[in-house]
Amino acid sequence: MFKTALSLQWKEFNRGKSIGEKLVAKILKWFWIVYFAFMSVMMGIIASSYGGPSMKFPIKSDSLASFEYVNGQLIYFFAYLIVMRYFIQSLPVLNIRAFLLTTISKKQIVNYSLLRTVLTYFNILPLFFLIPFSYLLFLTGEYKLGSLIFWNINIVGIIYLTNFLNFLLNNKNTLIYTIGGFLGAIKALEYFSIIDITIYSKELFYLFYDIPYLSVFTWVFVFWLYNYVKKYFLGGLYIDTGLQLKIKKAKIEDFSWLDSFGKTAIFIKNDLRLLKRSKRGRTAVYMSIGCLFYGLIFAFSEDLYGSTGSFFGYLFSSGGFLFMFGSFVPSWDSQYYPLMMTQNIEYRRYLNSKWSLMILGTIISTVFALVIYSFFGINAVFAVIAGSAYNMGVNGYLTLWAGAYTKSPIDLNSSANAFGDKKAFNAKTILVGLPQIALPLMVYYLGNLYYGHVTACFFVAGLGSLGIFLKPSAFKLIMKAYKSEKYSTLKAYKSN
Amino acid sequence: MITIQNLVKKYSNQTVLDINFLEIPSGQTFGLIGNNGAGKTTLFSCLLDLIKPSNGKIENNNIDVSNSEDWKSFTTAFLDETFLIGYLMPEEYFYFIGELRGLTKSEVDNFVYQFEDFFNGEILGGKKYLRDLSKGNQKKAGIVAALIGEPKVIVLDEPFANLDPTTQIRLKKIIKDLSNYNDTTVLISSHDLQDITEVCERIVLLEKGELLRDIKTSKETLKELEEYFKTRIN
Repeated sequence: MFKTALSLQWKEFNRGKSIGEKLVAKILKWFWIVYFAFMSVMMGIIASSYGGPSMKFPIKSDSLASFEYVNGQLIYFFAYLIVMRYFIQSLPVLNIRAFLLTTISKKQIVNYSLLRTVLTYFNILPLFFLIPFSYLLFLTGEYKLGSLIFWNINIVGIIYLTNFLNFLLNNKNTLIYTIGGFLGAIKALEYFSIIDITIYSKELFYLFYDIPYLSVFTWVFVFWLYNYVKKYFLGGLYIDTGLQLKIKKAKIEDFSWLDSFGKTAIFIKNDLRLLKRSKRGRTAVYMSIGCLFYGLIFAFSEDLYGSTGSFFGYLFSSGGFLFMFGSFVPSWDSQYYPLMMTQNIEYRRYLNSKWSLMILGTIISTVFALVIYSFFGINAVFAVIAGSAYNMGVNGYLTLWAGAYTKSPIDLNSSANAFGDKKAFNAKTILVGLPQIALPLMVYYLGNLYYGHVTACFFVAGLGSLGIFLKPSAFKLIMKAYKSEKYSTLKAYKSN
Repeated sequence: MITIQNLVKKYSNQTVLDINFLEIPSGQTFGLIGNNGAGKTTLFSCLLDLIKPSNGKIENNNIDVSNSEDWKSFTTAFLDETFLIGYLMPEEYFYFIGELRGLTKSEVDNFVYQFEDFFNGEILGGKKYLRDLSKGNQKKAGIVAALIGEPKVIVLDEPFANLDPTTQIRLKKIIKDLSNYNDTTVLISSHDLQDITEVCERIVLLEKGELLRDIKTSKETLKELEEYFKTRIN
């Protein structure tokens, strides 16, 4: 069973129509996995030296502090893991239908589906943190090896709990938002020193070090959950129950307030519905909200990244929607591109509507970014405005232009590939990243070097406002690209 | 209305479409028939400028379809589910198409209302997005959308497949009325000899991309076509 299923999977990959793209996507995915693995190792090393500034190993004096610190943060890690799994880890249960009538027993089908997830990178990556971390702690000589091992076993157990929990959570949006909201709330409570949940987390997970055999309970629970999920799926292997695709109750939304935009509004209304009603669209929106906060990473540690680094963060915070939505024009319409191409639509109007939506999104992002980053002073505000001007004036066109060469169809009903892995294959889309990100950074860097922050912001903003005057000629070029790519785009979308 | 000249479509070395000359006058109900791979959908796709022909050209109302987009204002089509926008409700989809064709919401409402029978109460006022409708109902919505805005040319690829018997009968009436009262040129393809002879004034038989017969429909047509396809068995 495993062999057949695996070979089918290989064929699915191998015989896909765009194998080149898929291969690069896989390589890119593995690049990220290796990157995260490396980061995990580094974090493990750094965490084990928490409190010890000298970074010399092993550190004896403060090793207790680092162990306590990690135990304290674990609660966040698990909550975060649950949320990430929900959005990223796809469940291998969707292609089951074809197996139902074969001689493979239902039990085997379910077992295969569940066991396949055991080796997913979500479960493996944490080991890259845990092993060096524990090893370095052991080197200090202050920890008992056996207890450390059981502490690890317990954590791995909890990781698998989240793994199987993910099956039950599938498509339970409200629950996942509750967990996400809860995560934010406790972090906020901790930040404002009202309640510090890490104290309890610390105590709780330390317990598993203190009393090693407690991890037996965790693993009993893992096996119980595995069996529960198995039964849950066995009971649902009917095309009208578990295998039925969830149908959401629809309601009409007319967005008539947009009608003042004239003809352009026809498409904007549709795109708003797309963003709201398709899984992939919603993911893009969540990700652009995430981008809003991206600048915080740099803003909090400007000493480390330098002012150009933080400018990068600000540029990204207002441009999140532009990149997340714009980079996939026209792929958003890939499922019905032939319709679009035969309707009474001029390219100019179609593209203008996409562009308008990108600008609208950038304006909204900018307003939020201004609110968030105003806490970091007037310089941050200037930087956000400059970045936003560049995004609207230049990046809008560039993203749209690169879109003409993006020919990966989007499956609106799955949130996969939201990280743009597929499209990264396209040389043009990589090249376009230079003027999108590198150019404004360079202008800012040079401006800042010679004239200071404010002038540098003016330069970048000026570059952006130039773009507004260039709209007619920019659109001419973009339209030309779209027209010449029309047939191959149609073909590529068809081969979905 | 539609003129096809020297139309050739090749994929590497394989010719999938090769039509020397074909003219479809305005108001004609035109049927394409042929086995799988005969080139029916390819021909329609070329007509709609979804595929670029290797050679030759198609003129729709004297507009070269691959050079100008002006034909889009009077031509509609429903080839397959890629003409549907899955995340819209049927009403929203009709409004969208209507707006593009310059109709107001109430005009669309009035127009779509005529098809209440055709929809059999399963499409309008439901609580489903197009993606969640059954295949047959999706098709009904797509076909009706292609009728919105009084187009002069309507292209339907296998409109009868997947439809229930009652709906097929209703659709035949709709298509006949279009050419009788509105002078609309309707192009359909089908695998069903009976259906196509019933509806079309003229039937063109394609085989491996070539035009084999061009028949003005009469009582004998059905028999003639049946004979032809029988000979293909041996």
